[in-house]
Amino acid sequence: MRRMTRRRFLKWMVASSGIILWTGACSSNAPIQISPARRTVPGPTSGQAYLSVARGEDAAAVTRAALAAVGGMGRFVKAGDDVIIKPNICIDYHPPEYATTTNPLVVGTLVMLCLEAGARRVRVMDMPFGGTPETAYAVSGIADATRAARGEMEVMSPLKFVIVNIPQGRDITQWEVYKDILEADVLINVPIAKHHSLARLSLACKNLLGVVRYPNRMHRNLGQRLADLASLIKPSLTVVDAMRILVANGPTGGSLNDVRQTNMVIASHDMVAADAFAATLFGLRGEDIAYIKLSADMGLGTLDLNAINIEEINA
Amino acid sequence: MRKSNKWQLWRQVRQICQTFFFLLFIYLLFAALQRRVAFPLADLFFRFDPLGALGAMLASREWLPRLVLSVATVGVTVLLGRMWCGWVCPLGTLLEWIGPAQVRRRTQGVPPRWRSGKYLILVGVLSMAALGSLTLLILDPLALFTRTMTTVVLPALNYVVTAVLGALYPIPLLQGVLDTVEQLVRGSMLPVKQPFFVGNLLIASIFVLILALNRLADRFWCRYLCPLGALLALFSRISLLRPAVGGGCARCGRCSNVCRVDAIEVQEDYRIVPSECVVCLDCLAACPEQGIGLRAAIPVSTMRVNKQIAWPAPGESYDPSRRQLLAALGLGVAGVVVMRTSPRAHSPDPALIRPPGAQDEETFLSRCLRCTQCMKVCPTSGLQPTLLQGGLEALWTPHLVPRLGYCNYGCNACGQVCPSGAIPPLDLESKRRIVLGHAVIDRDRCLPWAAGIPCIVCEEMCPVAPKAIRLEEVAVLDSRGTQVVVQRPHVLGDLCIGCGICEYQCPVEGEAAIRVFRVQTSETKNILI
Repeated sequence: MRRMTRRRFLKWMVASSGIILWTGACSSNAPIQISPARRTVPGPTSGQAYLSVARGEDAAAVTRAALAAVGGMGRFVKAGDDVIIKPNICIDYHPPEYATTTNPLVVGTLVMLCLEAGARRVRVMDMPFGGTPETAYAVSGIADATRAARGEMEVMSPLKFVIVNIPQGRDITQWEVYKDILEADVLINVPIAKHHSLARLSLACKNLLGVVRYPNRMHRNLGQRLADLASLIKPSLTVVDAMRILVANGPTGGSLNDVRQTNMVIASHDMVAADAFAATLFGLRGEDIAYIKLSADMGLGTLDLNAINIEEINA
Repeated sequence: MRKSNKWQLWRQVRQICQTFFFLLFIYLLFAALQRRVAFPLADLFFRFDPLGALGAMLASREWLPRLVLSVATVGVTVLLGRMWCGWVCPLGTLLEWIGPAQVRRRTQGVPPRWRSGKYLILVGVLSMAALGSLTLLILDPLALFTRTMTTVVLPALNYVVTAVLGALYPIPLLQGVLDTVEQLVRGSMLPVKQPFFVGNLLIASIFVLILALNRLADRFWCRYLCPLGALLALFSRISLLRPAVGGGCARCGRCSNVCRVDAIEVQEDYRIVPSECVVCLDCLAACPEQGIGLRAAIPVSTMRVNKQIAWPAPGESYDPSRRQLLAALGLGVAGVVVMRTSPRAHSPDPALIRPPGAQDEETFLSRCLRCTQCMKVCPTSGLQPTLLQGGLEALWTPHLVPRLGYCNYGCNACGQVCPSGAIPPLDLESKRRIVLGHAVIDRDRCLPWAAGIPCIVCEEMCPVAPKAIRLEEVAVLDSRGTQVVVQRPHVLGDLCIGCGICEYQCPVEGEAAIRVFRVQTSETKNILI
């Protein structure tokens, strides 16, 4: 090795402090503005239901039927699209029978439908609060189902969270959100319908908590904050998995006594309407759930199930 | 020109062997890194460690079948000498690699009698183990190396990789590549959440000190301090095959120049001391006359004839005296007695929450090898090195710090990787019933209790069914005097298993508004699953 002269030492100092400064500059926390116009949510044309409810025992067939009734996946996914599917994979404790995580067959079928519609790639992701993504993906059965359908499981990378302005936000105007969720051409929100003590129910809008940093801080004013988040993250399509629902001890479940086999999948471009319909499965109305009501107040969708065209199918 | 020598080939075999075991050791570190399901042989090295095995069996007074393989290490040592040290031990390999590159000079300024240090440490380890205390196993080389890797190197590696990727990420051209790299390593090789370990600086300092001592003498640790080396040295005194200098010796001194452990007594007719020799074969490879060979020290024929290969090997000037041994023994015994009479031994810190199945403190302390594997595998990094919460005796044993990481309801990995069974290998259903501690709500900090702010995160997170937290709906006045309805949490003591996810997730900043405290004795719960 060459001797360290003063000149060499200074060169090293300049170079390394340059790198350090650059690193520091790059990790600055300036909020970024993501254009919401990028992802448009297409309304139904004639012949397409505003909201569809498919019933049956075969989750894959039910999912296909629900999608067909709202106009098929081709209405949402165009050739070459980059698609993200966001199921609820909140814990790695229980297999799908416990109704704590989205039904893997529903997710797998959606992956397949997206690829059939010409999607460039389909990624599936969530940020579990109990356990690691790797194990939660595996235990939920969603990893296998997704890979079998040729989709990709993505472990949400800490690098990809960005601070975003929420222009329509009434309580929160900024939050850290997973960048790809905002930028994907198509976002499909696939919650499982479950009980939740504070929100009363965990449905599609609540499922968005899995794509933000510090989800627990949302609880201080959960209803409004979720509605604010929904105004930023507009899923192209909402598919509520109600094949099995969890009626108590949610969202973590753990007892089969709390699981009801309802054999249903709900699909709509309108997340608020889908949630409002799902609420009825628990004997509640959309108005009873703060985030559904506040989302409707903000004009993000409708909770008036009588005013929309609902198609019910037996698959 | 030096004649080609078959021992040069053997030396290469040894170097390949060392590299292989070192890489295997590193691979196993990653194979059981924050995993819910650990690689089944993650504790392979520990199973071959006779010091840990002897210590744990002495201390627990139980036969620990998982550690029986260590007999093989003893067997190899009796046959061939301290091959473990020269061919296998990853710490020894590391110390060898960072040793001086040029022909190793003989020890400078370290008196040979320091070699007795390792025997005295060994006597300390074993005398304390005989009284049920494994505290000194913190000096086991495998435990020491694993501990440093777990709490210092791997978290630092994760930090650096994340920082570098984060710094490069804003460059649009690189994002595709970085995304691929992230998906390859994140969640599999590197954790999603940065792990932090209590007292990592102390652990790092000790390791750096051991590395620095290598400047005083090559493999300083192995020569003067290592208790496992000392144990194997006792067996290598009766080893059957040893390097010995033959008749053709030209007294050139090359062998003693290359010997990393200074095992060749030039003054005593180039005698190779079997208790110090780590069978690295460097001397055989370096001998221009091929005058050194492996000779059998068959008991009957060679016993008194030739001091070089006498069996058993004669004592050395630096062997500890009877007085020193008794002093080490006495210190060990006194150490245990003093540690046991400290207040913390009587009543450990209420925050000292033991891993699942390790609730009986005395039993646990008599088995725990201080190897840190449980902390490495813990997917939440909630298992942390204990400092003085359980008295000095419990130093660097694992305990759960829920604010750093909870005990995952879907995980039983720590019991799978524990080499000695100090954390029992429980199936998931049994592990879920083990009570680690009890959660207590601090009503002065809890948002609904203290400030009238809605929050149910602890209840939401509670993994047992039915939930161990009950919510009580109450109308209260918030800070502005308006009436709000909040749900106040109450812990149901008979259902809480003390997993600590409530404490971990509690959104109150700083100390959580719900905290888990240890249970004194083991108990299990019949929770509906």
